[in-house]
Amino acid sequence: MADATVATDPITGLEEKLMSFTKAVTTRAAIAQTPKELVWTLNKAKLYRYVPVVKKENRHSVPLLLVFALMNRPYILDLRPGHSFVEFMIKSGYDLYLLDWGSPGPEDKDHKFDDYVLEYMPRAIRKLLTVAEAEEFSMLGWCIGAILAASYSALRPDGLRNLILLTAPLDFSDKTVTFSRWIDERYFNIDRVLQTFGNMPGEMLDAGARALKPVENGVLNYLKLWDNLDKPYVVDAWKAMNTWVTDNVPLAGGAFRQLVVDLFRNNELMRGEWRLRGERVDLSNIRANLLTVIAEADHITPACQSRAIMSKVSSKDKELFEIPGGHIGIMAGSGADKRTWPHIEGWLAPRSD
Amino acid sequence: MPEQQAADGRPFDPMDAWRKMRDTYLDSWAKAMIETVNTEGYAKASGSMLDAYLSMSGPFRDAMEKAMVQTLQQLSMPSRADFVSMAERMSNLELRLDDMDAKLDRIEKALTKPPAVQKPATRPANGKGKGAR
Repeated sequence: MADATVATDPITGLEEKLMSFTKAVTTRAAIAQTPKELVWTLNKAKLYRYVPVVKKENRHSVPLLLVFALMNRPYILDLRPGHSFVEFMIKSGYDLYLLDWGSPGPEDKDHKFDDYVLEYMPRAIRKLLTVAEAEEFSMLGWCIGAILAASYSALRPDGLRNLILLTAPLDFSDKTVTFSRWIDERYFNIDRVLQTFGNMPGEMLDAGARALKPVENGVLNYLKLWDNLDKPYVVDAWKAMNTWVTDNVPLAGGAFRQLVVDLFRNNELMRGEWRLRGERVDLSNIRANLLTVIAEADHITPACQSRAIMSKVSSKDKELFEIPGGHIGIMAGSGADKRTWPHIEGWLAPRSD
Repeated sequence: MPEQQAADGRPFDPMDAWRKMRDTYLDSWAKAMIETVNTEGYAKASGSMLDAYLSMSGPFRDAMEKAMVQTLQQLSMPSRADFVSMAERMSNLELRLDDMDAKLDRIEKALTKPPAVQKPATRPANGKGKGAR
């Protein structure tokens, strides 16, 4: 009756629980498992095409490009088998592509949004259209990826049929948002930081994001794991998310400076004053069908930063979709496959043929 | 003695009440901390800490970098700056290659494009066209 002994011995039980906890916290989950092929590279950036599972004649004719933030790994979109937005979309018949920005090195410290939007994206999209044998495409940008997607759509609107912006930080007029307070020029010396580090270290960006909700991220997150160690599904989900959260990449110094000074401090994009390589990013040039998704409990990109774009674009077909959840939770949380993904797919499907 | 059960039918767990109390306390702590970090005082304090760190680590960092460059030079080995310069040149080459790749794609597309279907000849005014044969 060894099992009964284990169950009734509190010391052994606690020891086993501690070992399971340590294992969950210190090991990496198998993430980003959906098969894909590399179709284009430039410097650290890579364009992947996910291997379709639906026959060509049954697939949507307009391919979809996923653009994620610069300072996190994009595999949050393909977190784990059975709970992956990528998997969901290829099963729904999309020819799906992912732009992975990679991790900038010291040689990339001067990379700016100008380079990402006007050098990398047009080239990646040119390749995508060639591989997909398509004239038009759809683009989904998430977080900083939404800034890139919106800027690209404003500067190079041709060929883009559908634009989806997820938790897009675009309007920085509200200075009471926590990040805006922290990077106020009175307290945050960006020149000194970038002079020291070159690129903004991933660990510092992660520390900043965690500090927005210190108790949730530092205590409750681990307590949730501890309380659910007997539930393998919860442990697997926790491990996958922890693997992603702790896998940080630096943000190129030039892009970080623009994010802080041009966008957060001066709100140049929303005021129509932002220029990339001399070209003004005029949001009224956006004509693509637009879906903007807002997470109601988003502490990283509060809803107020995403709403204003709806009145700036020229798109005739546009929708604002607000959904309960947090910045990452709406796309990778346990309810994402029941609420966010079906809504995005339901919106995109009739506009993709 | 029948097993004690909670009102919702689940087995009685003596730790449940403690857990609820713990969660209530942590929730209120979490809310208070979210408000605390969104204050001018916190922004000022975190900015000062970052400044202090940069001031303290800067001289060490500079000295280390200088020593490293000198050591590598003496060993006839490339420094970080050399690698950075090399990487930048590689990126420029990649840009050229990417443009050439795109040109090849266009040429391939033009070569494999099916020939355009010839338009039927316009029927002559005198009615002696194909249909009149």
